[in-house]
Amino acid sequence: MPDFNVRSDSVNVEQIMEQIRERIREKRGVDYTEQQIRELADVKLERFLDPRGVRSDLLDQFRKAQPAYEPPELPNFAFEDATLFESHRAPIRWIRKLLMPLLKLLFNPNPLIQALHIQSRLNTMNAEREAKRESARRAMDQLYYELVHNLVVETTRTGIEVKNLKMRIESIASRLEFNERRARALESAVVYRTDQDDAPAPRHAAQSSSSRQQAPSHQPQARTTPPPATSAAPVAVVPMLPTAVTPPTTTQGQPAPGQQQGSGVPGEGPGQRSRRRRRRRGRRGGGAASVVMGVPGSPAPDNVGAQGSTETIDSNDALDPVDEDGLSEAEEMDEAAVEREAPASAVPESPEAVALNPQPVTVELPVDHAHAEQAASPKSEATPALHSEPAAPMPPAIHETPAAVAPPAAPAAPASSAAPAEPAPSPAAPDHADHDPQ
Amino acid sequence: MKIAVVVQRYGHSVNGGAELHARYIAERLARHGDVEVLTTCTTDYVTWRNELEAGVERVNGVQVRRFKVKHERDPLVFAKRSDRVFEQRHSLADELDWLDAEGPTSPALVDYVEKHAADYDYCLFFSYRYYHAYYGAKAAAARAILVPTAERDETIGLSIFQPLFRGVRAIMYNSPEERAMIQAVSGNDSVPGVVVGVGSDVPNNPQAHRFRQKYNIRGPFAVYVGRIDQNKGCKELFEFFEGYLKDPSGKLSLVLIGNTLLPIPEHKRIRHLGFLDDADKFDAMAAAEVLIMPSYYESLSMVALEAWALGRPVLANGKCDVLKGQCLRSNAGLFYETLGEFIGTLEAIEQNRWLAGSLGRNGKQFFRDNYDWPVIERKYLEMFERLKKESRMPEVDSAPGWLDRRRQDLPAAQDVLAKLPTGPAVRRNG
Repeated sequence: MPDFNVRSDSVNVEQIMEQIRERIREKRGVDYTEQQIRELADVKLERFLDPRGVRSDLLDQFRKAQPAYEPPELPNFAFEDATLFESHRAPIRWIRKLLMPLLKLLFNPNPLIQALHIQSRLNTMNAEREAKRESARRAMDQLYYELVHNLVVETTRTGIEVKNLKMRIESIASRLEFNERRARALESAVVYRTDQDDAPAPRHAAQSSSSRQQAPSHQPQARTTPPPATSAAPVAVVPMLPTAVTPPTTTQGQPAPGQQQGSGVPGEGPGQRSRRRRRRRGRRGGGAASVVMGVPGSPAPDNVGAQGSTETIDSNDALDPVDEDGLSEAEEMDEAAVEREAPASAVPESPEAVALNPQPVTVELPVDHAHAEQAASPKSEATPALHSEPAAPMPPAIHETPAAVAPPAAPAAPASSAAPAEPAPSPAAPDHADHDPQ
Repeated sequence: MKIAVVVQRYGHSVNGGAELHARYIAERLARHGDVEVLTTCTTDYVTWRNELEAGVERVNGVQVRRFKVKHERDPLVFAKRSDRVFEQRHSLADELDWLDAEGPTSPALVDYVEKHAADYDYCLFFSYRYYHAYYGAKAAAARAILVPTAERDETIGLSIFQPLFRGVRAIMYNSPEERAMIQAVSGNDSVPGVVVGVGSDVPNNPQAHRFRQKYNIRGPFAVYVGRIDQNKGCKELFEFFEGYLKDPSGKLSLVLIGNTLLPIPEHKRIRHLGFLDDADKFDAMAAAEVLIMPSYYESLSMVALEAWALGRPVLANGKCDVLKGQCLRSNAGLFYETLGEFIGTLEAIEQNRWLAGSLGRNGKQFFRDNYDWPVIERKYLEMFERLKKESRMPEVDSAPGWLDRRRQDLPAAQDVLAKLPTGPAVRRNG
């Protein structure tokens, strides 16, 4: 079990069991016993929750099935003072009356008469009370039935809502997964700016030097996919590339003729091929990367659209497994990843070269905040020439990291210049207080 | 020093836990004194049929004196009386009738103990629940040392045994859980007691490869050793293991060793090898990835101790307080209560080699510290010395009268059991 946190010097069974139970709870939600699970499975909830099974006229049916209550005719008797001695025969009545004193000599019939009279009254009262109670109970039954009916309806509605929410969660999860995959695929994409892009934008260049770059949110961008905020925050690393290794580019970042074919071109340094590819993408996907980055002075998106439909080119690009340099997209991505991970010493660090080519190349790495701090490590400080313009004014930095060393985060900067037209993501990292939305 | 070991069955072919325990102790104590075993002529714990000759014989150098059993067990009567005393309010006479129905009823053995108790320094009575222990400990109370081997079942809730726990010179417990349970039910805190357990003669170099070759077993496997019975939790084990087999990441097979009273599931990864001798049993344990102990009721799992002695982890049933407590105290085993936990723990041991190795090493150390024979022998001898110095005689309750025995005022044993404290004893030292 790879996710056990057990130390090599001691084993704590209680701790391990707790971890196992935690995993089970994560898997199942609740750690039910098998018996409980079977009982739950035996209950056919769906039968009750199926909306097709809920009849809207149930209450009416119930009322129809329930006849109006009529109190039954309960047997009773009337018992008065003379009831014991009554008779429809007059002579007998007379004899009884005559012998009454004699009878009262033998026993006293009054308590008996009184008791039976009270009993008769009690019977009557009970019958009336029972009738009232029964009618009240029937009325309550109707209320209960209505309540249960409403509960069934509401439960059904809730069940449907839960199903819908589950489907929505699944949909969002799949979209999130897709976006994560897409973000990973675009991690290696590099966006850089041309001289002309940077020249009329000193303020932005200063921002670039502190690597607080972010694309304007109002500007459409090609193939921009917002990185997942939950997994990693993009960090911009702005190495300075010497002129000697940077192929000459046109305004739109297009390489000069004769220097883009093949990998064996003399003087071609590491990463040039992938940069060329990115320039090509930038050309396809809306022109210069500076356009994508939102650098002032770069061609407007409308002008870029003159080079062709972004969507068309994107789709063609996606369908075309092999680029002009003969490498497949996957190979190029791998190369870009290798270049990104290559040690800084692999890049020429001549001060002259830095001075000659102050173009920053922005590489976005999806790293988490912990890694973002590592980006500002002394190792990065050892190669200050690789980073942004030395003369550029430093914007106020919230991070204690030297701005010229390693800009820790530029989360809203697009990962690729060839991203589809989507709004730039809002910054998610907490270190964006000095971020200029422009 | 002359010691009598009184046990319900005894012999090479008798493999019950308490009986094996008694034999091991008798043979070990025979190195320090004169030991005589007093037992019955039975070998079957279900029928208690007289199958051996009464009289004296020697088993592994230990003198054994056997006595006839008066009558065999009638399962119907026993079941009826069990229902009566376990589930209903009843009388003392009902419990005595239950004890008589349970067997092995051997008045001859009890008479012998009563008459010859003075010939022994101490009488070790094994298994409190049987006829010989109840009446024998009463007959030789001044010399009686009880090895209760008590499990957490309804029998512990019977009222007749509470005076027994208070009326002996000392009690040798198998586990802290057993001691806590007996002290809770009988209040015998003043009776000297020590947690001892039992050792095992584990070979130094078991041959795992030989076992695999002999039984053509390949791949990793978990082993169960013992009687394959529902009371031992084997039915649940089969259900859980079939659940584990549905997990494609699990590679373990299940090897069962022991006589079976249950149908064994037909599956290519479940193998039943039957009853094996000790050499094969230890080889199997050494070859296994883990020993599974699914029993609900144990006073001390000797098999688990043997697995630990061989450096193998144990996966125990967490519903058994004793096993759970052993796992926690030793840090040498995991435990389960549900199917999810069974699969999770089994996968943890299977997939994390380091974890399995650490558990096994802890188990080996736990066995050495607590259950190695020198430790066990020392605890017994220290108890004998302690009792020799103590002048305290056990409290013997007066026998109830005719009317008292028939008064229906005793609670159902299961109600008494339900009130007893549960859970493993967390103290590391017994």
